[in-house]
Amino acid sequence: MRGFRSGFRLQLSFFRNYPDSLIPLLTAPLFTVVFTMVLRHGGRGDLSGYAMIAPFYMSLWWFAIFNGGWVIQTERWEGTIEYLVAAPVGFVSVIVGRISTMLLAGAVAFGEVWVFGRYVLRTNVTIHHPYVFTASLVLTLIAMTTTSLFMANLFVLSRTAVTFSNSASYPVYLLGGILVPIALLPGWLQPATNIVFLSWSSKLLRGSLSAGPIQGAAFDLSMIALLAVVALGLATAFMSRILRHARSSGELALR
Amino acid sequence: MSPRPQAVTVIDLVRTFQPRKQPAVQALDGVRLDVDEGEVHGLLGPNGAGKTTLVKILTTVLLPTSGRAEILGHDVVHDAKAVRPLIGIVFGGERGLYTRLTARQNLEYWASLYRLPGAQIKARAAALLERVGLAEKADVKVETFSRGMKQRLHLARGLVAGAKVLFLDEPTTGMDPIAAREFRTLISEIRAEGATILLATHDMVEAEVLCDRVTLIDHGRILATESPRSLGRLVSRFQRVDVEGADRELLDRVAALPGVESIVESDDGHRINVDGDEHVPVVLKVIVEAGVVDVRTSRPSLEEVYVGLIGDRGLEV
Repeated sequence: MRGFRSGFRLQLSFFRNYPDSLIPLLTAPLFTVVFTMVLRHGGRGDLSGYAMIAPFYMSLWWFAIFNGGWVIQTERWEGTIEYLVAAPVGFVSVIVGRISTMLLAGAVAFGEVWVFGRYVLRTNVTIHHPYVFTASLVLTLIAMTTTSLFMANLFVLSRTAVTFSNSASYPVYLLGGILVPIALLPGWLQPATNIVFLSWSSKLLRGSLSAGPIQGAAFDLSMIALLAVVALGLATAFMSRILRHARSSGELALR
Repeated sequence: MSPRPQAVTVIDLVRTFQPRKQPAVQALDGVRLDVDEGEVHGLLGPNGAGKTTLVKILTTVLLPTSGRAEILGHDVVHDAKAVRPLIGIVFGGERGLYTRLTARQNLEYWASLYRLPGAQIKARAAALLERVGLAEKADVKVETFSRGMKQRLHLARGLVAGAKVLFLDEPTTGMDPIAAREFRTLISEIRAEGATILLATHDMVEAEVLCDRVTLIDHGRILATESPRSLGRLVSRFQRVDVEGADRELLDRVAALPGVESIVESDDGHRINVDGDEHVPVVLKVIVEAGVVDVRTSRPSLEEVYVGLIGDRGLEV
């Protein structure tokens, strides 16, 4: 737990000292305005709740990849990764602690978007299925954190983590059904959405805002949980192997 | 008399790097090394000699290709978890610190990673900052620090858990002479407290001033391991007497003395090579009685040894 706590506190210090790491908290309200205006202009003010969900996911993804997924890369840039590997406290626990702050960041992003939409844009959104909504939200935050941990692992092997993370966002938004309903995607692409937990999550959150029953909510929640566990399992299975590979190849500190 | 316990043991260590689409690089080629507990041991060699590679293996950051190394009896590969609490690392340089955090925040974070009890962390960090002369800058962000200040903070981090074995990798590179001297004073104090120190450097003054023994390394191979004083014998067995202002007649008289091997002209006078310490007093007496006062004795410096064994390769790596 020592490493987890140390990493968690360090990342909170980074949020204070690197204000650019909190950029999504600036952009989320702007995206909310854009999506809300598009829907209202199209005469679909009834879907305004969706306009608040998309910016939340975009913020969450940004935190997960550019904060969480870059944790190890920033250790490389700072030249601290070798010291971290050589420290008695486990490398993995420190990284997990740092990435777990994404839970907090995501929750703040959600709260901000909700408050902004409700009280600034006067979006009247009713959560018809609060339990499903809450469960989806909590599982989404957890799944995003474990996905971030998995990404951080992959970035250890890659010296082009920046390029990858810059280019991965919009494909993920599409496969996650964040910007465009999955039903509108080409048929051959839709099976791929099943392995992206965001697709199950976005379906549930949007469904929670609609009156009428939600079909298969328990199954969808299970899929989010399952994909979160899979990401965590892959991350922990890979972490020690990837670290050993980096120590063996001599590429641990290479930028 | 029982041998001194070994702090560092290296047996036939090999490390090969295989860059992509390039030939393999043999960074270490069968290195054998022993460092006694409480010793300050220098690793001296040019850039690319293998010093940093060796230090990284000993600090568990890099895995060897073959061979073995132990720190206080613990294998650095198979027992890395036992090694890590025992060592402190000072890689030095501009990087290795969280630049937007303060010196205090950096140190407290690393103290927590070295499992210092929570109640002790703040006091330990404050004491170390005081010791390395950064107390007044404790709450200043590291990004504003000079090179010398960062090096001192690196050293404080290396000492945070009271390491039994301290690894310093070119710690004074880029420092001005005064800062470097102050840094060496700190190292001497740490040495006096009983820590074992492995100092990788290509600074001759640093090695001669600080080290009990020096290992010369080049192209991944050990060339020699001796005290700085004894290393001189590798390039010359002679004691040397340097004299300025001696005329031809005096030099002829000195050349005829027992033990005087040769007299050569130097930049500022003449160098008299004497075979054996027992002959030096007679040579000095003759010179001084002739009225020449500008005279001194010396052995080959570490720099001469270095150039003599490793070779003058200019800027070539």
